[in-house]
Amino acid sequence: MIEFKRVSKRYESHDALRDISLTIDTGEMAFITGHSGAGKSTLLRLLLLLDRPSSGELSVNQRPTSAIKRRGIAAYRRNFGIVFQDHQLLFDRSVFDNVALPLVIAGFGRRDVNRRARAALDKVGLLDREGANPASLSGGEQQRVGIARAVVARPRILIADEPTGNLDPDLSAEIMELFRAFNRVGVTVLIASHDLALISRMRHRIITLHEGRLIEGEGR
Amino acid sequence: MSAQAKGLGAGPRSRFNSWLHHHRQSAYESLNKQLLTPISTLLTWLVLGISLALPATVLVALDNIDRLTAGVDRSTQFSLFLQADTEEAAAEDFVADLAQRSDVATATLIPADRALQEFAADTGLSAVVATLDDNPLPHTVVVRPIAMGAAALADLAAVFDRMPEVSQVVLDTRWIKRLISALEFGRRLTYAIGAMMLVGALLALANTIRLEIEARRAEIVVIKLIGASDGFARRPFLYTGLWYGIGGGVIASGLVFGLLWLLAPPVNELLRLYDSDKVLMGLGAIGALQLVLIGGAVGLMSAWQATAVHLRRVEPR
Repeated sequence: MIEFKRVSKRYESHDALRDISLTIDTGEMAFITGHSGAGKSTLLRLLLLLDRPSSGELSVNQRPTSAIKRRGIAAYRRNFGIVFQDHQLLFDRSVFDNVALPLVIAGFGRRDVNRRARAALDKVGLLDREGANPASLSGGEQQRVGIARAVVARPRILIADEPTGNLDPDLSAEIMELFRAFNRVGVTVLIASHDLALISRMRHRIITLHEGRLIEGEGR
Repeated sequence: MSAQAKGLGAGPRSRFNSWLHHHRQSAYESLNKQLLTPISTLLTWLVLGISLALPATVLVALDNIDRLTAGVDRSTQFSLFLQADTEEAAAEDFVADLAQRSDVATATLIPADRALQEFAADTGLSAVVATLDDNPLPHTVVVRPIAMGAAALADLAAVFDRMPEVSQVVLDTRWIKRLISALEFGRRLTYAIGAMMLVGALLALANTIRLEIEARRAEIVVIKLIGASDGFARRPFLYTGLWYGIGGGVIASGLVFGLLWLLAPPVNELLRLYDSDKVLMGLGAIGALQLVLIGGAVGLMSAWQATAVHLRRVEPR
């Protein structure tokens, strides 16, 4: 469960988030939307402890994040699978090694790494490309590799920041279906997207931000 | 829910194995990366290698000088000139007493008569000697001390000088003392200069590693975002530093061997001309190993310095 309690984030000159109270239940799938600059990215940054709230409290699984010190951040982030708009793949290694990275970081044995990475690649339909360099894949395929990497360590929470930002509508729908499939097996999914046409068809909660305020979808 | 799904990760045993595996992998990959860019790697190795080789060569040279003068010490002897009015029998008693001392190896009396004969024979001045009314030479005692340092020799000379039977002690210890002081000075100077050169090499290596951190910034950001600890991110760079250091140490050993190989023929010729059976002593396997270990330590320290300062700054934004 993710819980924002009266969270504000102020950068030097402006308020990125103002007094946000929001609960996302375990196993829920929700979208965050709003114009660019509305605070979507800031919300995700706070959740990943890339930044700390200026005021208010953010808890994940009943644990206040303010109690997590610098040393604990790495372990905390392993609760999440993250999908980036520009997928952030490493082009100096194979598709397989990209997907296996979270497992290596989490300290899985080699046999587990092989088995799970292949299973994740199979889920996104790219098992036959495991030896390829990610640079040789299409944009949609790269994003699917990014998703495989995000889910490979079986995180409890999957976060995606504009995952379909660079994809055409058909590919976007396909990617969203993938997220829905993970949600069906119990993963909490939180997706920031401004593709309103796409997300309104998905029939999940839509959280709308406007100039740092929550204007719709606070939930419960 | 399985243990992994609860965020506990793998079990402790498998975690240790994978930690070990990541060490092996980091070690292998960083060495591989260095060998794939042989020219720039060689240059980095040379920076450390030269910084290590110069002081090491000087230390080896000082060791050689030290070793040669150890032979000089053992051949040290005192000449004690006794008072002019000492009877030969009294002189013999005195020599017998001296020979009992624990710090004296041998004490030999050269009576005044024999000293004069030897002087006449050695110098060819027997005709002149024959014209003398009295023997102007005193009885002389040649004392060989047991092996001891220059300072102890000087103390012993003072002890002899205070004996009533002795009029004069001849022992030229000053040059030995000077040499020993000079060697000590040289050794300390070499340590100081060597330490400075190593600090310079350490900073140069740290800068090289800083550049590698910069070059891999994107990768570091991604792995930190997906939950890599600082230790995990640091590991490849520590091995990079270690390999640079070990490579530098190997280069340094090679340079010292090369320099000594160039120096050996003239030095050995010089030693032969001085009738010494000694030859120039090299670095030796242990010396070479020490250089490699020092190199490795310097490399590791530079990587530690670079990662402590720069890796922390590479954070996801």
